[in-house]
Amino acid sequence: MLNQLTFNRKSQLCNKIIIYYFGDAMVLLETKNLSKSFDGLKALDNVNINVEKSKLTLVMGPNGSGKSTLINAVSGFLKVDSGKVLFEGKDITNKEPNEIYDYGIVRTFQNPEPLKSMTVLENILISERHIGEGVINALFHSKWIKKEEEMVEKAFKILEFLKLDHRWDHPSKSLSGGQMKLLEIGRALMTNPKLIIMDEPIAGVAPGLAHDIFSHVIELKNKGLSFLIVEHRLDIVLKYVDNLYVMFNGSVIAHGEGSREIERVLNDPKVIEVYIGD
Amino acid sequence: MMGVIEGTIVWSNIIVLLALGLTMTYITTAVPNFAQASFAVVGSYIALTLLRFIGLDPYLSIPLTFIIGGLIGISTYYIALKPLIKRKASIEMLMIATLAWDLILFGIIGAYSEILGSLTKRTETLFVFTNLDFEVYGLPGRLIVSTMLVLLTIIGLYLLLYKTKFGIALRASMENPSLAEAMGINVENTRLFSWFISGSLACMAGSILPYLQEIVPQTGYFLIVSIFAASIVGGLYHIAGALIGGYIIGVSESLFTYLLSMFFGPGVLVYGKVISLIIMIIAILIIPRGVTGSILWRRLEKWLNL
Amino acid sequence: MEEVGKMVELISLILFFFGLYMIVSLSLNLEFGYGGIPNFGKALSVLTGAIIVGGILNRLLIWYFGVSGDFISASSIACYKLTEIIIQNPLVGLGIFLITVAMAMIAGAIVGALSILPSAKLREDYLGVTLLAISEVVFFITYYDVRIIGGYYGISAPDILAFIPGEYKIYAYTVLAIVTGLIIYLFLERLLNSPYGRVLRGHRENEDLIKAFGRDIMKLRIKTVALGSALASIAGVIYVFYSSNVTGNAFTRVEWTFYPFLILLLGGKGNNKGVVLGALLFVLIRILIEFYKFDIKELLHLPFEAVWIQYIFFGILALLVLCYRPEGLLKEKPIYTPPIKSKLQN
Repeated sequence: MLNQLTFNRKSQLCNKIIIYYFGDAMVLLETKNLSKSFDGLKALDNVNINVEKSKLTLVMGPNGSGKSTLINAVSGFLKVDSGKVLFEGKDITNKEPNEIYDYGIVRTFQNPEPLKSMTVLENILISERHIGEGVINALFHSKWIKKEEEMVEKAFKILEFLKLDHRWDHPSKSLSGGQMKLLEIGRALMTNPKLIIMDEPIAGVAPGLAHDIFSHVIELKNKGLSFLIVEHRLDIVLKYVDNLYVMFNGSVIAHGEGSREIERVLNDPKVIEVYIGD
Repeated sequence: MMGVIEGTIVWSNIIVLLALGLTMTYITTAVPNFAQASFAVVGSYIALTLLRFIGLDPYLSIPLTFIIGGLIGISTYYIALKPLIKRKASIEMLMIATLAWDLILFGIIGAYSEILGSLTKRTETLFVFTNLDFEVYGLPGRLIVSTMLVLLTIIGLYLLLYKTKFGIALRASMENPSLAEAMGINVENTRLFSWFISGSLACMAGSILPYLQEIVPQTGYFLIVSIFAASIVGGLYHIAGALIGGYIIGVSESLFTYLLSMFFGPGVLVYGKVISLIIMIIAILIIPRGVTGSILWRRLEKWLNL
Repeated sequence: MEEVGKMVELISLILFFFGLYMIVSLSLNLEFGYGGIPNFGKALSVLTGAIIVGGILNRLLIWYFGVSGDFISASSIACYKLTEIIIQNPLVGLGIFLITVAMAMIAGAIVGALSILPSAKLREDYLGVTLLAISEVVFFITYYDVRIIGGYYGISAPDILAFIPGEYKIYAYTVLAIVTGLIIYLFLERLLNSPYGRVLRGHRENEDLIKAFGRDIMKLRIKTVALGSALASIAGVIYVFYSSNVTGNAFTRVEWTFYPFLILLLGGKGNNKGVVLGALLFVLIRILIEFYKFDIKELLHLPFEAVWIQYIFFGILALLVLCYRPEGLLKEKPIYTPPIKSKLQN
C-alpha cells in the first residue's frame, strides 16, 4: 500500500519533470508581464500566456477585456508599455508587423479584410512575399515566373481545400461573409507559418460553416501548426481547444490546459461572474 | 520693429481664423479641405465689391462676408463632398473633390475679378486696402480688428460648444461621430455647422487680408501651406489646435523671415513658407497628432481640469 | 492651304501635349492608380525635370563655354553657343537630351524619395497634404528666387533639335514626346503585370494587411514614388526643351498635379490603357479651348479670359466623374501573370 503510494508520487513527479523539461521546448510564443494602457486605462495588465506548439490556444473574455489588444500587441500592430513577447525564445517585443511576419507569425483580422477589388486568387497570392515584387526583378519575368507558377499551384490547392476554387477569378467583394472568413484563413495558410493568430475567425459565420472552418484548423494543427485564437462563440469553439485563457479587464483571470482543466475553468465562479457581469 | 510685430500678429490672426475652419471641418467630415484658402480670397473680393459699388468700408462688410462665406462653406459640403460621402468614396477621392472645388472657386474668382474690372474700369486682379486703414493711438486698424475677430470667435465658439445643449451634442459628435450617431445626435447638423463656420471665418479673414498684402486671384496658393501647417502643428483633432498652431506658424513665418531678410536682404522673403513646411514636417515626425494630441497637452488638460 | 497648315499645327500641338500628359499621368497611375499613394505633389517631379535643364544643364554649359555675366544672360549665350554646335552635329543634341533625361530621372527619384520620407508611415490624408505642401513650397521658391531657374523672368534652354529646320521642329518634338510616352507605357505595362503590381494594389486596398503579411510599406512607398517621380521628370525635360525656355510659373499645381489626377479619373485609375485614353481626351478638350479661346470669348461675349472657364469646366468635370463614374472609362482589370493566364485558358 505504502509502496504503491510512493510509486504514484514518484510517477507524478516524473510526469512533472517530463512536462517541465519538454514543456519549455514546446512553448512557441510566450508573453511576459505584457502591459499597455490607453489614457491611463489598463488594456493589458501583466499578461502572461503561453502558446504551445501544435496546440490550439483560445483566449476568451467579455468585450473590452483586452483580447484584441493582446493580439494586436503580439502581432506588432500595437506597441506595449512594458513586458516582453518571446517567440521561440527570441524577443519580438514591439517589432513592426512585417518583421514579426518574418518569424513565422501571421494573423487574421476581426473584420474580414479582403482586398475588395482584387480577385480571390490575387487575395491568396498576395500573402506570400515574392521575389517579383522588387521594381527591377518585376521587369525580368525569368526571375519570378517559376516562383509564381509554384505559388499559383499552391494557391489553387488551398482554394480547393477551402472550397473556394470555383470562384478564383471573381472579385473578392462578391464573396459571402463566411467565404471571406475562409479567404482570410487561406491567406494565412499560404505563407507556411508556424503560428496563426486569428481574431474572431467565426464571428458571423453560420454554425455549419464554422465547424467546417475549425475542422480545417484541426487538420492543420495535426500537421504541426499552432493557433492562437480569440473567439466569442464558445459553443462551437470549446471542443477544439487545447489551452484556455480567460481575460477580464486586461488581466488573465483563469487558465486551463486539457479538457478536464478547461471544464474546471469554465465552472470557476470567478469566470462565471465575469460573464454574468457582462 | 513695431511694424514687424504688428504685421506678425495680424498675419497670425488671419492664419488662426483660416486654420480654425480647416480643423473643424476635418474633425466633422474627416477630409482635409484644400479649398480653404480660396474661401479667404472669395472674402477679399466680396469686400472689394462692396467697397467699389457702395463705398462700404471693408471692415464694415465683415458681417456680410461672414454670412456669404458660411453659405460657400455649406455649398462646398453639399455640392462637392456629400454626394461622394453618400457613395462611400475613399478619403483620397474626397481630397480630389476639394482640389476640384478649389479649382472651380479659383476660376470663378479669376473670371469675377475681370468682370469687376470691366465694370469699374480699373484693374481688379490686383488690389490692396492698406491705404484705407484707420489708426487708433498709433495702432493700425487691421491689428485691432483682426485681434477682436479672433477673440470674438474664441469666445463665441467657447460659449456655443461648452454652454449650450447644441454645443454639447456638437462636441460629442465631433469627438466620436459613430458613438454620437448611435446616441441619436444628428451628425449631419454638426457637419453643416462646421462647414458654415469654416467658410465664414475664412471669408472674414479674407476681408482683412488686403490690409496686409496684395490680393490676386492666385493668393489662395500662397496661403494654403501656412494654413495646413498651422492645423497640423496644432493638431487636426482639436479645435484649440488651430489656435496654437496658427500662432506658432504665423509668428515663426513672419519673425524668422524678418530675421533672415536682415542678414540676406529681401530676396529671402519667399523662404518664409519653407519655415512653415519645416515646422510642419518636424511636427509630423515628433508629434503626428500635433501639439494638442501630445501627451504633454493631455496632462495639461487634466491639470487644468478641462 | 493656310487652313490646312493651321490644322496640322493644331493636331501636332495636341499630340505633343498628349505625349507629355501621358508620361505624367502614367507615372501618377503607378503611384496612385496602383499604389493608392495620393501624390498631390506630382507637379514637383515635373518641376524637377525643368530645374535639371534650367538650373543644372545651363550652369554646366556656362562653365563649359566659360561665359561670364549674370546667370540669366549667361544662360542665353551658352545656350546659343550649344545650339550652334548642334546645328553642325545633331548627335551632340541627342546626346545632351539623353544625358539630361538621365540626370533628371536620378534627381526625380531622389526628390520623390525625399518628399515622401517624412510621411511615408502616415495615413493617406497626411501623406497627401505633406506631398502637396512640399511641392507648393518648392514651386514658390523656384518662381520667386530668380537664382535657381530664372524665376518669373524665365531662362533660355538649349535647342537640342537645332539641326531640324524651324517649321518641322514642332513635329519632331511631338514625335519625341509621343515616343517617350509609348516607351513609358510599355515599360509600366511590363513592370506592373507582375507581383509588384499586385502588392501595390494590395497596399492601395489595405495597407495594414500588407504589413501583416511581411511587407515594409515605407520601403514600398518610397521606391514607388521615387520611380514615379523619375518618370514624370522626363516630361519636365521635354517640355522645357520644346518651349526653349523655362519659366517658374509653368509648373503649377493645377497643370501638373490636378490635371493628371483628372486624367486618371477620366480614363480609369489602375488601368494604363484607360489613362492613355484619358490623357488624349483631356488634352483634346484643353488644347481646343486654348486654341479657340478668342473665338470662345467672342462667341459667348465673355467679359473675361476663357482660361477661367477652362478651370471651372475641369473642376466640374472632376466632380462629375468622381460622383457618377469613379472607375473611369476603362475599368481596372485583374493582374494576370503568365501562370494565371494559363489557368484562365484551362
